[in-house]
Order: sequence, then structure tokens, then C-alpha cells
Amino acid sequence: METSSGEPTSNGFVKPPDFRREESGRGGAAVESNGHGLGMGLTLRLVQELEGHSDRVWSVSWSPSGHTLASCSGDKSCRLWENLTTSPSSSTWRCQAVLEGGHTRTIRSCGWSPDGKLLATASFDATTAVWEVTGGEIENVATLEGHDNEVKSVAWNSSGTYLATCSRDKHVWIWDVQPGNEFECMSVLSGHTQDVKFVAWHPTKDILVSASYDNAIKVWAEDGDGDDWRCVQTLAEPGRGHCSTVWALAFDKDGDRLVSCSDDLTLMVWDTSADLADLSGSGQAQWKHSTTISGYHDRTVFSVHWSRVNGLIASGAADDCIRIFAENREDSSALPGESSFSMVAKKVKAHSTDVNCVQWHPTDPRILASAGDDGTIKIWEVIGDLSLVG
Amino acid sequence: MPGLVRRDTEEDIFESSLNLEGAHYQQGFEEGFADGIGAGREEGREVGLKSGFQVGEEVGFYSGCADLWRAAVEIDSSAFSARAQRSIKQFQELLRAYPLSNPEDERVQDLLETIRVKFQALLSMLSIHLEYPGHPKARSADDASF
Repeated sequence: METSSGEPTSNGFVKPPDFRREESGRGGAAVESNGHGLGMGLTLRLVQELEGHSDRVWSVSWSPSGHTLASCSGDKSCRLWENLTTSPSSSTWRCQAVLEGGHTRTIRSCGWSPDGKLLATASFDATTAVWEVTGGEIENVATLEGHDNEVKSVAWNSSGTYLATCSRDKHVWIWDVQPGNEFECMSVLSGHTQDVKFVAWHPTKDILVSASYDNAIKVWAEDGDGDDWRCVQTLAEPGRGHCSTVWALAFDKDGDRLVSCSDDLTLMVWDTSADLADLSGSGQAQWKHSTTISGYHDRTVFSVHWSRVNGLIASGAADDCIRIFAENREDSSALPGESSFSMVAKKVKAHSTDVNCVQWHPTDPRILASAGDDGTIKIWEVIGDLSLVG
Repeated sequence: MPGLVRRDTEEDIFESSLNLEGAHYQQGFEEGFADGIGAGREEGREVGLKSGFQVGEEVGFYSGCADLWRAAVEIDSSAFSARAQRSIKQFQELLRAYPLSNPEDERVQDLLETIRVKFQALLSMLSIHLEYPGHPKARSADDASF
């Protein structure tokens, strides 16, 4: 595999960085390096380190406006952070609120509703709490019970009408969001044979994807107009799939592609443009594996996020690094319909230990938030010419 | 043995002494086999009774719950949401379809799992904190989970 210096090859050997190349590459024209002409043209600047949690921070979620960042932790609380200015790259982030008393154990995941009024927090105490955030008031308006044990992830669909949760009990629950902050269990989905780590909704359709310790990614859709949800596709071996735990998933802006990250040290990009509900064509439409991004991560990749603004993919891993990948344009060596990606930035020791979560800002193309086992949240600004990579 | 010609019809008066080990092995095997069949059948009956009872008890528990909920709806049709009422009906159908009399139906494990999952969903919809006492729960205080 052709690789540029500074990046590990597939057998783990790291070539020493080429300093001559880096000097000319910073902020300037793309440099010939790995054959795709992108090079490591971007860097990450630390805007601010947010301290306050007393245990590892598991996850962060930007409100739809990008004005508030929610973080959740092993200290059983969720914190809301806001910037004193309107610029997220200004080092004036402050903790505005601490959501306590809602859970009796670690809060593993949090997510804002699409209208920014509700925040859901998923906990190891087997419940999911919903908080209403209006002005300065924050109120716990609902507690969703049902899972047998630790809830690992929570996600709202694009219209805010459904909420999905998943758990170590191997099930995915879909909740119907009703007026008056009522949540009714709509469906309990079984299929995974192990702990389900992550759920994510398609950005425009009511299609849910889940990732599990059983190495599979499952795709769920509603059958007819009843409450019947079923698994419409499984992305796993023996076809193309991860060979170890899949930790997180993220769709691109239009939902035509999905990226997954895994304990098997790779990211996989999937072509999700096929309409799974369309059974009229010859042969059933299926989502397909597009490309595998390998040779870059040394340890488990815990988090991946695809920016809806700049088109870049960010990853957070157990080797304490944050990496950014961009799609190669006009790659003559790629097969038609296939795309390839290369790493365009790497922040070594982004946290002092495992990076648990990375999340791109919803509107500002240069801002990225990360959460770590070191109990901190960090706000990063991407420095460099985005037009060359986005 | 080379050189020794044996004819099938001839009774070898030395056979029993020469074949002592084999004869005893055979006898021991037959006794053990008979004991095994007996003990195995006994244990099988016990295990069958026990697991049959457990399955019956669990399905019975769910059926009792479903009957009660159905009755509640008949008394007050607004007691539960439309979705919950639909689910109760589906739940009852699942229970009716469960092959209680045919334990060798290969679907029994999957069907029971589907019923359990539906029960969980119903508990949530009806906001009931109930637990089937016989069903092993996977809840553990293991905070080392990721």
C-alpha cells in the first residue's frame, strides 16, 4: 500500500516525518505525498479545554444552532457549555448548567432534538432521561424505562418524531415522541447478538442504523404504516464488514454515505444511496461497502463523525489521537463509483488518554469538539485551506 | 492366528476361557448401558418436567397479564393508548400461537424470545413496573461497562 511518511503502513511501521514537505504544505497548495495529492494540509489548534466533570467524559452533542455543547460523563451528570461570544473559535466557553440527579449511574450518551428544545441523556442505570431546555430553565420532563441494562446511545430522527436507544441488552428501542413530552415505546428491535453500542438516524429518511459488539451494522426501517420495524439489511461478514466491535456510525450530509469505525482499526465507508424501501426494481436495493480506510489507526477507533458543513470525517481513538480524513477527488486509480480517502490532519495526544467522542460543529466548518477519558472536553479549530480538501 | 482353521459350525469349547476379557467387557457394557438408559430416562423426565413447567409457567404468567389488560380495556376503552391496545392484541396472538404441546417445534426458543420482547415493550407502554419472577435478569452492578 502506497503511503506517505508520517503515517503507519499496514504492518504498523511508521516512517519518520518529512519535515521539508510539511513546511511547504502548511496552509498552502496541496502537496504530492500519498499519490492522491492531499498531504497533511490541515492542523488542529486547541481553542479551549473545558474542565468540570469529575470523571471521564463519554460523549458531546452540539445543539442544532451550535450555540450550546452538551457533555455527559461517568460522574452521572451532563453539562451545558456556551460561548460568551457568537464565535465558537473564541476561547470564552463557560459551563452554563449542570444536569444532576437525573441518573444514578454513568451517562453514556446525549443528544439534542432537532428543534433544540429537548436533550436526551442515556445512562448505565438503564433509563433515558429527557430534559427540556427553555431559556435559563432546565427540567427533567420524562424518564424512559424499558431496557434491561446499560443504555449505550440515544438519537433523535431528523423530524424529532422518533427517539432511538440501544443497550447492552442487545435490543434497540424506538420511542414515539408525542405532544406534552410523552414518549411511548413503539417497537423493540432484536437482531443483534451482542451489546449494541451506537444508533444513528439517516439525515432525511426514517431509517435507523445500529452498531454492535457483534461486529455488525444493522439497518432498520418501518414496515408499512404500522409500528412494525424490521431489519432490512445487515452490513457484516461474511460479506464486507468489520471483523471486530463497531463503535460508532455517521452519515454524510445527504445520507448517501455512511462511515463506521471499529475495534478492527479501520473506518469503513458505505454507499447508502439505494432506497431500501424500493422493492419495485429488479433485485432488492441494497447498501454496499464503498471503501475501507485502514493503516492509520493504532488502536480501537471509538468515534467517527462526518461534518455536514465541510465534508470531512473526524475520528477519535484509543491511541489518544484525533484524525481528519478527506475524500480524494479525481482519483484515477479508484474504480468507478468507488471513492478513496486520505488523512489530512492528525492531532497526537489530543487528550492525555482515550478519545471517546468527536463531533463537528453543525454550522461552523472549522470547529470540532472532543471528549476524553481524561475528564476534559476540548474545542478545536481546523487551520488550513479547506477548499483543497472539502 | 495363522495355521489355525476354524469352522463356524464348530463350537469352540475354549472360546469362553480364551475370550474372558471380551466376555466380561461385553457383560459390563450391557449392564452399564441398561443402567444408563434407566438413569437417563429418569433424569430426562425430571428435566423435561422442570423445563416444561417453567415454560408453561412463563407463558401462563404472560397470558394472565394479557387477559387482565384486555379486560381493563373492555371496561374502559380509554384506559390505554391505541398503540398499547394494538400491542396487547398482538401479544395475545403470539401467546395463542406458542406451541405449548409441541416442545420439539424448532421455533419454540425464537417464539418465546419474541414474546418476552413484546412483554417488555408492553410494560413500558402501560408504565407498569412488573417483572416475571422466573425470568433471569441480566441486570448487574458492573460499572466497568463501556
